[in-house]
Amino acid sequence: MDAMTAAKAPPAQFSIQARRWARDNLFGGIGNTLLTVVTSLFLAFAFYQILRFVFSSAQWDVIEANRRLLFIGRFPQGEEWRLWPTIFLVSALAGLTWGLWSKVGWLAAVLLALVLVPVFLFFAHGQVGMLTALAIALALMGYAVTQTGLVHERFQGPIRQLIVVGWVMAFPVTIFMLLAFGGVDPSLWGGFYLNILLAVVGIVASFPLGVLLALSRTSSYPAFRLVSTGYIELFRGVPLITILLMAWFVLPDFLPSWSVPVFAPAGLDRMELVYRVMVALTLFSAAYVAEIVRGGLLAVPKGQLEAAQALGLSTVRINALIVLPQALRAVLPALVGQFISLFKDTSLVSIVTLVELLRAGRAIAQGQIQFSGRDPEILLFVALLFWIVAFSMSRLSQRLEHSLGIGER
Amino acid sequence: MTGISAIGPALGFWRNVRVRRFAIQTAFLGLVAAFGYYLFDQARDLELGFDFLDGRAGFDISHQFGTSYGPNDRRLDLYLAGIVNTIRLAGVGIILATLLGLVAGVARLSGNWLVSRLALVYVETVRNTPLLVQIIFWYIAVFLQLPRISDSINLPPDTISVLPFIEIPFISFDFAFLSVRGLALPWATTEDGFGLWLILLFIAAAAAVAVRFWRAQRQERTGQPSHPTWWLLGTFALIAFLGFAIAGFPLDLDRPEVGERSYDGGIRVTAEFAALLVALVTYTGAFIAEIVRGSLQAVPKGQTEASAAVGLNPFQRLSLVTLPQALRIMIPPITSQYLNLTKNSSLAVAIAFPELVGVSRTIINNTGQTIPMFLIVMATYLLMSLIISLVMNTIHSRFTLETR
Repeated sequence: MDAMTAAKAPPAQFSIQARRWARDNLFGGIGNTLLTVVTSLFLAFAFYQILRFVFSSAQWDVIEANRRLLFIGRFPQGEEWRLWPTIFLVSALAGLTWGLWSKVGWLAAVLLALVLVPVFLFFAHGQVGMLTALAIALALMGYAVTQTGLVHERFQGPIRQLIVVGWVMAFPVTIFMLLAFGGVDPSLWGGFYLNILLAVVGIVASFPLGVLLALSRTSSYPAFRLVSTGYIELFRGVPLITILLMAWFVLPDFLPSWSVPVFAPAGLDRMELVYRVMVALTLFSAAYVAEIVRGGLLAVPKGQLEAAQALGLSTVRINALIVLPQALRAVLPALVGQFISLFKDTSLVSIVTLVELLRAGRAIAQGQIQFSGRDPEILLFVALLFWIVAFSMSRLSQRLEHSLGIGER
Repeated sequence: MTGISAIGPALGFWRNVRVRRFAIQTAFLGLVAAFGYYLFDQARDLELGFDFLDGRAGFDISHQFGTSYGPNDRRLDLYLAGIVNTIRLAGVGIILATLLGLVAGVARLSGNWLVSRLALVYVETVRNTPLLVQIIFWYIAVFLQLPRISDSINLPPDTISVLPFIEIPFISFDFAFLSVRGLALPWATTEDGFGLWLILLFIAAAAAVAVRFWRAQRQERTGQPSHPTWWLLGTFALIAFLGFAIAGFPLDLDRPEVGERSYDGGIRVTAEFAALLVALVTYTGAFIAEIVRGSLQAVPKGQTEASAAVGLNPFQRLSLVTLPQALRIMIPPITSQYLNLTKNSSLAVAIAFPELVGVSRTIINNTGQTIPMFLIVMATYLLMSLIISLVMNTIHSRFTLETR
């Protein structure tokens, strides 16, 4: 049943179609009708409880009063200008990525907007509100420009490459903006900004490491296979929290006291916790990326490799030009899935005392007397922010699957 | 490599493939060994050992069912109690998550629009939110908001209010209680004759298997439907019940009662355990649901059509034709979800439930023996992962189709 034809049909026919649809999908047979009734009762109950909580018993002023803490943690006053350029860059890139790699997505976009707009308009006023609106506008523009066919076929390829370069550059730009011109102490980075920063660092750094591990696990050199298999199985066998705790307690004992400008001026063994956590997330995620990429490598037909060898290409060129492009294309959706879970896992750094979104939220209920007992509101808001990002990424991965024709013959 | 030597000595020995392979791998292993030695050398300065495990623990575990370890026991004993807590969490979680995942996965493909949408909303909400946020939400915003023990909620409730204006009277007998201190459930206590009943249960199982074999044979021979599974269950239930009477009813139901500050009798599931279990089960269940859906869709459509053509009803189609075939595809990804659930149980540390990682953190705080403790924890997790993988691989190999 196509919604478009139903909408265009004359009223009488529409009601017949609606009735037929209801019979086919809701009331076909006794069992089905019973199922519909029970589910409706449950839904009515759930909706009533949710609506009553959201609009009646919940007091959302706790979010409004703490939006700064939730979004950027204890970032010093007057230094916010360091954050906005990267926010603009990332939101424009997000819009472009969405527009370029997805075909339809309008319904999902509307859904997201319905959630996003109240979140930002309700909680952001004045200057912050203006800048937030600008960021959203940039994302929408990026989406619209690439979606409405304004970009000529010929420029689509270069634009895609530009976007990939942009994503890779986002991390150095962010770090530069945070550390240049006086800089802000890394222990003051926090809030949702920190979650996104950690996720981007983890993605950008774990991807090449994971590809290397995958290549060496499938290599013809037994020594390479042995070491990378050991690494992958070790890191996949233990929970992330143990690795984060190791980065917190143990890592400094094993690092030399070399001084690295900007990152660890006092010596690597006194590296900031944020950087140590970044190392932990990268090492952990790389093991999972490696297993996904290995799946892709195994799926590349052997003839491709043999043909490349017959042409006399070197090992590096065979991998870079023939094998990896095919392998990565096949596993791109799975990789996005891994990056979603990495993003969700950034909430775990709250356990090692970093004030990211979840810990900032917990700090409100524990530290501010006037807001004690508001945990449900805070936790729901925290969950909503994570959900918005993770859900849009998962939609993107589904679209990628479609537009790349993966799984189709 | 005769080809290369035939080309002659004009090419240096370093162009020989064997030499190059050997040299590259030796150099690589040398680097790895050097790195390993560096780590070992750094660790040597820290004066590490495993003797601390024999020391007096100095803390106790407040969340345990049955076992009881106190501050005077060895640290090793408390660590083992932590492992037991992890296994409890993971074991119960795996069973419940599988059931929830199966139901939700089948519901995703239901012909009933409302049911499939509901399953979709569940999956997309839970999958895209961090598990840690969910655990803390269930703990702080749900279980800690429950009434005090003296105002415990009776389960099943006396009335159910669907909407503010509809109240349905419900069964009224106190089976379990729910409060901020957790969930109190009835529990069975054993009496004399329990051992005898266990022996009779074994006999019942053997007899049931034999009866099933007989009915299956009969069905094959005569072509008449002989319901071997029903016969299996019936035989087992009959002998088990008769044995229960013969052994003199050796089980007593110990029902909980609401006391002043704690529940008397029964068994208590702490709020921490309950919150963790609910969060782990709903989270993993959502992932399993997607796996179940994908595997069911991967079964060729002709199978469903053919089974409809031979007159099977929708339930039989699912349970006899599509699900068994889908199982083959879904076992490997579900195994990795089981592993994830086991590893994710370590997030209990955030709400101070003493499982493996939680106990280890306390031991580390008390002794400062960080590295040995982490080595033990990692070894434990690797061992558990290995066991789960082995069990699931055995199951998988039984389902694998023999192909040429």
